Amino acid sequence: MYPLIVDDIHKSYGDHDVLKGVSLKAAKGDVISMIGSSGSGKSTFLRCINFLEKPNKGNIIVEDEKIVLKADRTGALQPDAVQLQRLRTRLAMVFQHFNLWAHMTVLENVIEAPIHVLKISKADAMVRAERYLERVGLWKFRNSYPAHLSGGQQQRVAIARALAMEPSVLLFDEPTSALDPELVGEVLKVMKGLAEEGRTMVVVTHEMGFAREVSTHLIFLHQGRIEEEGVPREVFSAPKSERLQQFLSGNLK
Amino acid sequence: MFEFEIITENFSSYLDGMWLTAQLVGIALAAGLVMAVPLAVMRVSNNPFLYRPVWLYTYFFRGTPMLIQLLVVYYGLAQFQWMQDAWEAQSPFWLLFREPFFCALLAFAVNTCAYTVEILAGSIRSIPHGEIEAAQAMGMTPFTRLRRITLPSALRRSIPAYSNEVIFMLQGSAIASAVTLVDITGAARDVYSRHFAPFEAFVFAGLIYLLMTFAIVGLFRLAEQRWLAHLMPRKTQAAH
Repeated sequence: MYPLIVDDIHKSYGDHDVLKGVSLKAAKGDVISMIGSSGSGKSTFLRCINFLEKPNKGNIIVEDEKIVLKADRTGALQPDAVQLQRLRTRLAMVFQHFNLWAHMTVLENVIEAPIHVLKISKADAMVRAERYLERVGLWKFRNSYPAHLSGGQQQRVAIARALAMEPSVLLFDEPTSALDPELVGEVLKVMKGLAEEGRTMVVVTHEMGFAREVSTHLIFLHQGRIEEEGVPREVFSAPKSERLQQFLSGNLK
Repeated sequence: MFEFEIITENFSSYLDGMWLTAQLVGIALAAGLVMAVPLAVMRVSNNPFLYRPVWLYTYFFRGTPMLIQLLVVYYGLAQFQWMQDAWEAQSPFWLLFREPFFCALLAFAVNTCAYTVEILAGSIRSIPHGEIEAAQAMGMTPFTRLRRITLPSALRRSIPAYSNEVIFMLQGSAIASAVTLVDITGAARDVYSRHFAPFEAFVFAGLIYLLMTFAIVGLFRLAEQRWLAHLMPRKTQAAH
């Protein structure tokens, strides 16, 4: 069973085709890095997986369950709301700008969705919160508000918040792009640890070191299509496509 | 010179007036706030059947003076035959419109509600979009999102603007004396006509409003410390 299969996603804004048929399969424990220049569609693709953007065409299958799409009155494909909400709890997302709930403390951020979406008891949610906040090294900051933490700390809280859902796949949308350079390391370290635990992850990133060393599969997106993919070390050491060669020469200093 | 005796002689009338003002303003604000929350949610909806009526309501009640609204409710409606027929028939609901207290309460509540709707709607609109996306991505239903994320965040961020509305409401309530109510201003008028000492009568009334405003400002400062801590600079190192 694949935790996540994404099949032939198309997405356009008006006349502009952002994604022209992108697919991926994540087996359990896979860490898939998606790289590409800005505008290549990699973030849009990730956001299509949990329907923060609605794909125009394509299938998403989470743990063997396909998200059902029905045409609405205008003919656009709409997911079934109840099923989508359930499957979204299986796909936790970590955002570029953390998107923590500002009016809640760190602890409240982490227990919120387990209690009010998964409907587990507060006591159980607290157990999870302690486990995952310890995991990212921020349990002692549990009563702080997000605005009182550094960017790197906020992103680690966001990771703990995602982990507390105990999802089958973690989606990372450029998790270090909004961070000051000296804060990138602490977030990557946590992500590397998660990869080593065998968690299934899809990571949109500009961190070539992470893509090369940590991920099990690399996808290079160019103009809405997969230009090249494969085992990261092989792809990095011998890129076949000219686009990827150009991209890497610009990125690896 | 200021004749303090006039004030001490009439102190209990001022106290009664203060109690009436407090009731009017307190109940009107509470009712207005409770009604404003669902209306504000409608106001920011994308559905024209929901937001248009609310837009019209706030436009109308913010676009006319509260005194005019009060005079229409108390004096204006009584002019109609159907209202007088309803009074004749002792209809308990319509009889309320003969009560100046009820009329003032109604006008105040509907008026403050209109302003509060716009304050809340502004706060709801300004919630960072990423916080909504995070809630969606976690699988929250639209109702849970509203109840757990949007409204708690918006209500908190409304506190500073709402404190202004509360203070305006207190000062605006002085028009209650136009429909025979003896609030603080009404008490001052009585004292003025009894003693021909307008300066003492009205300056003391002003002093009472000033004190009540002071109390409101203090209460809101406590509320901000309690509910807006997440927007304030941190006081001490959070970890220990």
